Amino acid sequence: MDATTIADLARPTLTQGVRLQIDSATGKNVLLYPEGIVELNDTAHEIVSRCDGRTLGEIVQALAEEYETDAAALAADVREILMALQHRKLVELT
Amino acid sequence: MTVPRPYALLAEVTYRCPLHCPYCSNPADHCRATASVADPEGGRRGARPTMALPTAHGVTNNGELTTEEWKRVIQEAAALGVLQIGFSGGEPLARPDLAELVHEARETKLYTNLVTSGIGLDDDRLRALRDAGLDSIQLSFQSDKPNLADEIAGARAHERKRSVAAKIRASGIPLSLNFVIHRRNIDRLAQMIELAEALDAERVELANVQFYGWAFRNRAALLPTREQVARARDVATAAKARLAGKIDIFYVLPDYYETRPKPCLNGWGQRYLTVNPIGDVLPCPTASSAIPDLRLENVRARDLDWIWRESESFNRFRGTEWMPEPCQSCPQREIDFGGCRCQAALLTGNAANTDPVCEFSPDRARVDAVLSEIHSCEHTDEWTYRTNPSAVAVSM
Repeated sequence: MDATTIADLARPTLTQGVRLQIDSATGKNVLLYPEGIVELNDTAHEIVSRCDGRTLGEIVQALAEEYETDAAALAADVREILMALQHRKLVELT
Repeated sequence: MTVPRPYALLAEVTYRCPLHCPYCSNPADHCRATASVADPEGGRRGARPTMALPTAHGVTNNGELTTEEWKRVIQEAAALGVLQIGFSGGEPLARPDLAELVHEARETKLYTNLVTSGIGLDDDRLRALRDAGLDSIQLSFQSDKPNLADEIAGARAHERKRSVAAKIRASGIPLSLNFVIHRRNIDRLAQMIELAEALDAERVELANVQFYGWAFRNRAALLPTREQVARARDVATAAKARLAGKIDIFYVLPDYYETRPKPCLNGWGQRYLTVNPIGDVLPCPTASSAIPDLRLENVRARDLDWIWRESESFNRFRGTEWMPEPCQSCPQREIDFGGCRCQAALLTGNAANTDPVCEFSPDRARVDAVLSEIHSCEHTDEWTYRTNPSAVAVSM
């Protein structure tokens, strides 16, 4: 896998042992993992909550339809966020 | 002062353990921690030789909290905002109700982590823990080398741990390997990292021993030399680069060799709380032995919310107002929080002092004296193995 991008056909999923949950104290979405907690902003949450076996292309398409925006413009942001999560081993690509 | 919400609870469910590691951070006199009983009126201060509480079954486990009491603690922690729970000890598998407690924690949506020696983790118990929803396991190792590992543990454990590691991987539960690093194993850091690779761990923690509890008693035999520390740092840095994206490596520096203190707990009473086997609630797991005048509150007498927000013990070093100089006027004061209260207490006799590891502490000479002793020819290699709290069984 090229470390600088993510292919459209890659299927991002949460790494085993990582859990997406609402923090009841703040109402915010968080990822829980061994010895750590990451708070997700709204954009990251919209992406992560769709990492359920779909391909990157399908995730981008779904978000583009939901928010009525241009898929090509959205794709770069989605890639960037997923790569940051992948770098922290919170998301893996299959 | 606004009281923050806690993120993580360390549940020390028992001090019983099949291993006898001389670097254990559990209190070296278990009696203070296990043989006294919570006093609903006045909290608990210092050692008090009283009988352990009998459980519903008529047998005491050194006054350990019952299953129902732990379940209540877990619910109260979740209500307080806690998101993660670590089941630790002692050896948490010594409690037959561990899977039930994990299940309860998952019911309250906590992220559940088991910190274990692996001894006692057979197929049935592993299945029960997985079915209860256990999220992650941290398995301790003493070395990569079987005879050295067993010598450090004071028990024949190494080969069993290897087979337990394989079972954990097969069960699908994420695996971290934990090594406590000290003078006797620090030169094998590279081989220990190779063991983590061979066992397919996802994460490895290489933590230089911190001197509390049994480790404080055994400090002269455990503290590595400056040369060892320098070599180990290079090994850890190289391994981190080599294994990036494959294994997460956490290397915890030996703070006696640092010039600035560690940001202990990210501040007292800010993110973490510990409940020990008899239900004492601690801002830090080592505080019960290191800070003898800390008035400990107990879950049998008070709810966790009150203890976290209102108790003297949690407010004593919260924020920055308690700080003496040089901390009070230091630009680092909200970065390192004055270091570790337990270390200040153990090395200077006053928990409110600046951590003497800090180069600006008036007590830094005490740390330097320990270091120069280690580098003299007369240092000792002898240590005292950790012993278990004596079991008191009372038939009703």
